[in-house]
Amino acid sequence: MGQTPAALNLTGVRQRKWGMEQIVATGAIASLIVLVVLPLASLLWGSVTVDGRFTFANFGRAFGERLFYQALLNSLILGAWTGLLSIVIGLPMAWAVSRTDLPAKGFVRMTANIAYITPPFLSAIAFVNLFSPNAGLINRFFRDIMGLPFLTFNIFSMRGMVLVTVLHTFPFVFLLASSALESVDASLEESAQILGAGRWRTAVKIAAPLVAPSVLSGALLAFVNAIALFGSQAIIGLPGRVFTLPTRIYSLFDYPPQYGLASALSLIFVAITVLALWVQRSYLAKRSYVTLAGKGVRPQLIALGGYRWIVMAFCIFIFLVAVVAPYLSLLAVSFSKSWGLKFWQNLTLANYQFILFKYDVTQRAILNSMFLAASAATIAVLLGAVISWVDLRTNVRGRRLLDYISLIPLGLPGIVVAVALLQFWLRMPIPIYGTLTIILLAYVSRFIPLGVRAASAALRQVDPALEEAARIGGAGWLCTMRKVTLPLIRPGLFSGWLLVFVPAIQELSASILLFTSDSMTLAVAVYNLYESGYREAVAALAILNMLIISAAIWLATKLGGRGMTGQKPEVTS
Amino acid sequence: MDGIVIENLSKHYGSTAVVKNVSLEIADTEFVTLLGPSGCGKTTTLRLIAGFLKPDAGTIRVGDTILSSKGSVVPPEKRGMGMVFQTYAIWPHLTVYENVVFGLEVRRIPKQDARKRVTDALDMVHLGGMEDRYPNQMSGGQQQRVALARSLVMEPRILLLDEPLSNLDAKLRERMRWELKELQRRTAITFVYVTHDQSEAMALSDRIAVMHEGELVQYGSPREIYAHPANRTVADFMGLLNLVPGRVLGGSGDDGVVALGGGHRLRLPLPSGIREGMDVHVAIRPENVTLVGTASGDTPDLVPVRVASCTFLGNLADYQVVMEDGTQLRVQSHPLEIHDVGQRIYAQLDGSQCTVFP
Repeated sequence: MGQTPAALNLTGVRQRKWGMEQIVATGAIASLIVLVVLPLASLLWGSVTVDGRFTFANFGRAFGERLFYQALLNSLILGAWTGLLSIVIGLPMAWAVSRTDLPAKGFVRMTANIAYITPPFLSAIAFVNLFSPNAGLINRFFRDIMGLPFLTFNIFSMRGMVLVTVLHTFPFVFLLASSALESVDASLEESAQILGAGRWRTAVKIAAPLVAPSVLSGALLAFVNAIALFGSQAIIGLPGRVFTLPTRIYSLFDYPPQYGLASALSLIFVAITVLALWVQRSYLAKRSYVTLAGKGVRPQLIALGGYRWIVMAFCIFIFLVAVVAPYLSLLAVSFSKSWGLKFWQNLTLANYQFILFKYDVTQRAILNSMFLAASAATIAVLLGAVISWVDLRTNVRGRRLLDYISLIPLGLPGIVVAVALLQFWLRMPIPIYGTLTIILLAYVSRFIPLGVRAASAALRQVDPALEEAARIGGAGWLCTMRKVTLPLIRPGLFSGWLLVFVPAIQELSASILLFTSDSMTLAVAVYNLYESGYREAVAALAILNMLIISAAIWLATKLGGRGMTGQKPEVTS
Repeated sequence: MDGIVIENLSKHYGSTAVVKNVSLEIADTEFVTLLGPSGCGKTTTLRLIAGFLKPDAGTIRVGDTILSSKGSVVPPEKRGMGMVFQTYAIWPHLTVYENVVFGLEVRRIPKQDARKRVTDALDMVHLGGMEDRYPNQMSGGQQQRVALARSLVMEPRILLLDEPLSNLDAKLRERMRWELKELQRRTAITFVYVTHDQSEAMALSDRIAVMHEGELVQYGSPREIYAHPANRTVADFMGLLNLVPGRVLGGSGDDGVVALGGGHRLRLPLPSGIREGMDVHVAIRPENVTLVGTASGDTPDLVPVRVASCTFLGNLADYQVVMEDGTQLRVQSHPLEIHDVGQRIYAQLDGSQCTVFP
C-alpha cells in the first residue's frame, strides 16, 4: 500500500454553485418566511389598514373602548398575580428540595412536573366541577351539608382564574430556582461563612442575590405563559364575564369577524409578551456569572429539624391542590352518570363508551390530533436541524437572522399565531382555510423554536471535525448528514420531537380559531363538549387526553434517557 | 509525482488577517511541518489546503490542478487527501471497522477489497483484531491510530495532520512520533503536519515552515532553522535561548568580532547588514556555553561569571549564571560537572554557534 497513486482524477473538478447544502438551507429559509415572517407581516398590515387604507383606527379602538382596554388590563392583572404567586409557591419548594434535608424530594419534584404538564384547560374544567357557584362539589359540601356558606369559593372570577393558572405556572419558578440553587458553587457561600457570616447573613447576602435572577426569570416566564392560555381563561372567564386578551380576540371572530381590530389587539398582546421575554432574557444573561462554577462542590444541606413537617405539609398541600384535586375529580366525574355528592351510587363506563365509540367527533379529533402532533413535531425538528446547522456550521450571511426569526414564535401567544395565519392565508389564492393543513402550519410555526433549540443543543455537542472527517474522506454534504450528523444528533432530535408532540397534542389556543368540524382537534373537542354541557363526557375525554400525554412522556423517558423533566421550561402554552 | 504549491495565500476573518501572503512549496513525499505559536495561522493554512476554507487571495495547486483560488474551491471530498484531526474525530456511533471503511464505502469499493484494505490499514497502525470495538472502549492513543488508519486506507497522496499528538500524554507522544515518522517513510505519502511543539517538529520533519502572525517567517530543514534562525522570534521559538547585548567591533562575514557587555571579545559570523559600531544581540543556546572552573592562560575568550542557581534535571544540569555587567546566561551542561551556587567561574561561548540580531 502507499505506492499506488490515489485513484482520483482532480483535473476539472470544480465546486458546483448550488450543492445540496445550499438547496436545503434555502428551503429552510423559505419555510421560515412562509411560517413566520409573512403571517406576521399580514398581521401588521391588517392592524393598520381599514379597507386597504392606512389608519390607526384599530389601535384607537383597542385603547379607547372599555371592552378592549379592560381585557388588556385583566390580562396584565392575571399575569402579575400569577407571576407573584408562582414565586410564593415555587421558591419555597425549590429551596426545600435543593438546600434542605427534606424527605421525599422526588415527590416534590414529581408534583411540580405533573403540574407543569397538566393542560390548564383540563384543570380549569376540574376546578369548575369543584367550585362552580351552584353545582361545584366542594361549594355544595360547605353550603348544603356543613352549613358554612362563607367558605364557598366562586371559581368564575379573577381569583379563580389566577388559582387555576398558577397551578400550571409555578413549576417555571420551581425548576429555574432549584437548578440555580443547586448549581451555585457552594464554596461561594462557604467562603462567606469562613469570613464569619452566619447562616442567615450568608443566605441574604450571598445566596439570595445569586439566585434572584433565576427566580425573576421564572416569574416572567410564568407571566408570559399565564396570559397566553386561551382555554382556562375562556372556561373560567366567560361565565364570570372576566374578559382577557385571548378571549376578547376570540370573540372578535364571531360573525361578522373584525380582523383589523383582532390584529391590533394581537400586536398589543405580542408587544407585552416580547417585552416580558426580553426582560427575562436579560436576567438570564446575568445568571452566567453565577452558575456552573464548580459542579463538584455540593451545597451543604440545612437540617430542618422539627420544621420539616411544616415544609412537608406545604408541599403536600400543593400536591393536593395541583394534582389530586383536578385528577381525582376528573376521574370521578368521568365514571359518574351525573356529577354530584352521591358519587358512589351511580358509577358507569358509559361516558368512555360515548366518547370512544358513539360520538364520532371525538374519534376524529383524537386521530386528527395524533396526526397533527406527530407531523408538527417531525417537521419542527427537521426544520430545526437544518436551521441550527446553517447557523452553527456555515458562514452564510444572515445566518444569525435565521436563528432569531426561528425564535420569534416564542413571543407569539397561540391565538395570535392563528390570527396571523388567517390574515395571511385568507389573502392567498391557495384555499387551505378550514383544512388540517392550516392547523399544521400553525403548530409548526408555534413550536419551531422548540425544534431549533433541541437541534442546536444536540448539534453543539457534535465536534465539527466529525463532519469534516467525513468530507475529507470523500463524502458529500448529504452523505455526511445522513451517515454522521443525523445519527449523532438523533437522541437530541428525539427528545425535541417529544417536546413538541406533548404541547401539540393538547394545543387549544391556536386551534380554536382554525378548526372546522372536519379538522377538529382533541383539545377543541374537549372545549366544545364542555361548552355544550356534557360535563361527564368531557371528563372522560380529558382523562383520555392525559393518558395520551402520559404515554408520550413515558416513551420519552424510556427511549430518550432524560425526559421532559430534564429540559428547561419553555413557553409552550 | 506532484507536490503542493501554495502561492500568495491570504485569508481574513472579518478585518483580521489570519494568513498573510504565504507562499510555500511542498515536494512530493516530503514531511513538512507548519510550526508556530497558537494563532499564527498554521491551522488556517492547513484547513485552506484541505478545502474547508476559501482563500481571499492566492492559489493552492497540486501538480497542475488549481485546488483553491479566490472564488473557486474544490470541496474537501473531491481532493483525495487524508486528514487527522486534533480531536481525532473518530465517529463515536461507528465501530473501528465502520470508521475505517467509511471512505471506501463512499467510493463504492467492492466489499471484499474494502475488507482487505481495512485489515491492512489497521495492521499498519497495530490495531489488528480491534475491528468491532467502539471508540469509547479505546484509549486516546488507540483512537489516534484509528484516525490514522481511516486516512491511510484511502491511500491518499497527501495526508494533513492537525496537532495529532497534542492530546496524548508525554510518553505516548514520544512513541507515536516515532511511529508517524516510520509510517511516512514506508507509505511515501506527503505529510503536512501542524504543531506548536518545536521538538516534535524537529523530530519529524524534512522541512519546517515557521509561521508567526499569519506570515511564513522561515522555511528550511530542522538543523538550518535551529542553528540559523532568520530572526529573534524564530530563534526564541525554536528552543531555549540566551540573548546577550553587545557591540560590533569590526570584521564582516564569517570573521566578525563583537564586544559583549563587560568588554569581552567574541569572534563569530556576522550576517549581512550588520556593521561596525552597531549595538546588537548575540543569540546563543544554553548547550553551546561551556562552564569552566579555572582560567588557563591560552583561552582569552573566557567570560567571568557567578553561579546564581543550579537545577539538576537528571540528564543535564541547568545553570543560571550572571556576567559581570549583570547579564544572565542560561547554561546546560553535563550533570557531572558540578559548580556550587555563588562560586565564581568562567563561561566559554562557542562563537560559531552564535547568531547576531540587530
